[in-house]
Formats: sequence, C-alpha cells, structure tokens
Amino acid sequence: MKILSLDSSTESATCAVIEDDRLLGEITFNYKKQHSVVLMSMIDNLLKNLKLDIVSIDGFVVSKGPGSFTGLRIGTSVIKGLSQGTGKPFVGVSSLDALAYNLAYTSGIICPILDALRGNVYTALYTFVDNKLHMISEHMVISIEDLISLLNKHNQSVCFIGDAVPKFKEELCSNMQNIRFAPTHLNLVRSSSLGELGLNLLTSGVHDDLYTFAPFYLRKSQAEREYDKKMESSQNE
Amino acid sequence: MEFIVDNLEGTMNLGKQLGNIVHPGDIICLTGDLGTGKTHFSKGIAEGLEIDSPITSPTFTIVNEYEGRLKLYHFDVYRVNDPDEIEAIGFDEYIFSDAVSIIEWANYIDSLIPKEHIWVDIRKIPEIGINFRKIIIQYYGDRYSYVKELK
Repeated sequence: MKILSLDSSTESATCAVIEDDRLLGEITFNYKKQHSVVLMSMIDNLLKNLKLDIVSIDGFVVSKGPGSFTGLRIGTSVIKGLSQGTGKPFVGVSSLDALAYNLAYTSGIICPILDALRGNVYTALYTFVDNKLHMISEHMVISIEDLISLLNKHNQSVCFIGDAVPKFKEELCSNMQNIRFAPTHLNLVRSSSLGELGLNLLTSGVHDDLYTFAPFYLRKSQAEREYDKKMESSQNE
Repeated sequence: MEFIVDNLEGTMNLGKQLGNIVHPGDIICLTGDLGTGKTHFSKGIAEGLEIDSPITSPTFTIVNEYEGRLKLYHFDVYRVNDPDEIEAIGFDEYIFSDAVSIIEWANYIDSLIPKEHIWVDIRKIPEIGINFRKIIIQYYGDRYSYVKELK
C-alpha cells in the first residue's frame, strides 16, 4: 500500500510517500509558513521524482491538529481534495502523536510542545513501552508554567520535542530536573512519522469521513482567557 | 499624545508618519465613531508602509492583507459579536506574526489585545468645527516609544 502524507500544522510544510514499510521520499520546508504557496508544488515534485501518478496512491494521511489554524485548514483541504478526486481513503493523525513518534524508544515521558502563543503550548504526554507509543494524557492547550508543574508531579525524566522548544528551553531548564531535548533534525513534525502512524490505521481499515472530518484546534475558552487576563493584570499592579 | 487636525489629509498624514516608523509585529488599535476617519488613518499607515494597492475597509471581510515594506493585516472587528468568533479564525497567528496589524474597533475584542500595543482614538470636536478631529495616540510597552517622534 502506497500512501501520501502531509503535515502543515506548524511553520513547516512536509509531505512524504510511504510504501508499506519503506519511506520512498519526503520533502520538508521549515521556512516562513507559506503552506498555501508551496504544498501543491511539493506534492507534485515528490510524485514526479518518484515517477508516481496521484492515482497510484492508495490512501492519504493528514495532520488533524493541534497547531496553526490556517495551516491545518490548508492541509485538510488539500488532502480532502485529493481523496475525493481519486476516490481513495484518508485518515487524520494528531500532529503531537507524530512528533512523539519521532522519539520512539525514548525512556521516561515524551512531551511534544507546539507553540500556541500567549505563553501557551499544545501538548500531550506519551511513553514508549513495548515498541508502542502510549498517550498518557489528553491533548491540551496549557501555559508553560502549568505544564512544568504537571510534569514535575510525574517525577520522571522528560524529553521535549517540538517547535516551542527554543522559546521555552530556558524556562524549562531552570524549573525542571532530569530533562532532555530532541536533536534539531527531529524537532519538527515529519510527514514520514505522521504517515507511518496513518498507514497503520489505513491498513487496519480505519479512515475518516470526507464530509464530517475537521481538524481540531484546541483553544482556551473565553472564560479561561478572561481569567488569565485578570491574573496578568493583577500581577502588574 | 494628542493631535488636532482639521481635514482628512491631516488624519492621513499622521497615519503616514506612523506607518513610516512602525516595526514588524507591531499592533495598532484604532477606535472612533463612524465617520471619524479611522479608515483614512489606516490608509495613511499603509502609505507609510509603501503599500501601493488601494486600502478598502475590511468591514465585511474582517481582515485584508497587504504587501509593502512590511506586511499589513488590516482588521475591522465591528461585525464581530464575540471575541471567541475572531479567535476561532486564527486571530493570534495574525497578530503575533512579523506583519503590522491595524485593528479597527479594537475595543470590541479588548480581551484579545496583547498588553503591548499602540492605541489610537479619533474623536470629533464639533465645538471647534465640523471637520475637526482630536487624535489621541497612546502606547503601552517600551517597544513603541518611537511614537514620541510623531509631529
């Protein structure tokens, strides 16, 4: 089974073709979030270089979030279009799952963090046990302070990965012990990682519906925001 | 800071001065009753940003995007009923980017405005004359101290 996977949930745009247990090709750009400009030509280029036609693809995988609102909508639209046009199934995979999967065989907690702006991150906690990725929390949008206190309660080693790492590295280092950070080349969502997770779903018959599928954006409610604002201004006084 | 202008050109000129000196990522909130000249002030900013395309009010589109010396996102949130509505369409990704953001009727989405910003309020002063406007410019955060250069 050949699948085309696509991620546009962050600044980076990435697409890959995977055939069963083999990655045939992958293109990743991590520059200035210009998904709507580069995605289609990336896919075209990838397929051409692999001497493949879009009809020879058996299924599609797309990141379903959390992440950039605009990025997710572009990625979802592209994959839905390709899926509808070719009549092949597609499936959405969490961008955080894909990031965590970059750190397969890591002991302790794997903590992917994506920048959710205003001092928040999108995150979920994972462990890698018995050759499998296990999610041990819900997907969350959470302030970095709250994440630190949550993780400190677990009292385990933590490895961070994701585009919010550079922004929060210092804060994490000065408030936590026993932490590590993913190497730079793994530090972004890879469509190959996303695609592998999606391929497993598609081969076991799991796919999403063209008409009801929507990415999930995870954001704070108005009430939470106003509470934050209140706390912020009381700190300033 | 307060400025008194007596015609549209005066409003645009002040906007242009601001557009000349704004930095990437700056946020300019703009308030004032209908017909006070908010869009003309925005046109001035766009001119200062060397944007050639015509600036139209984004009342119906919520946001218009322009390319110039810097990228400009021009919001009009008059029709936004609830801050959640605009937050749900990726507002943060716009205003926390490298572009300059102008937000007309920013008071409607007060809870979403970052602590550091420029606030421009335009008021009519009918007691002096029908075309007279008082333009009050305040800034929050040291990054905006360049506002003091406005004349």
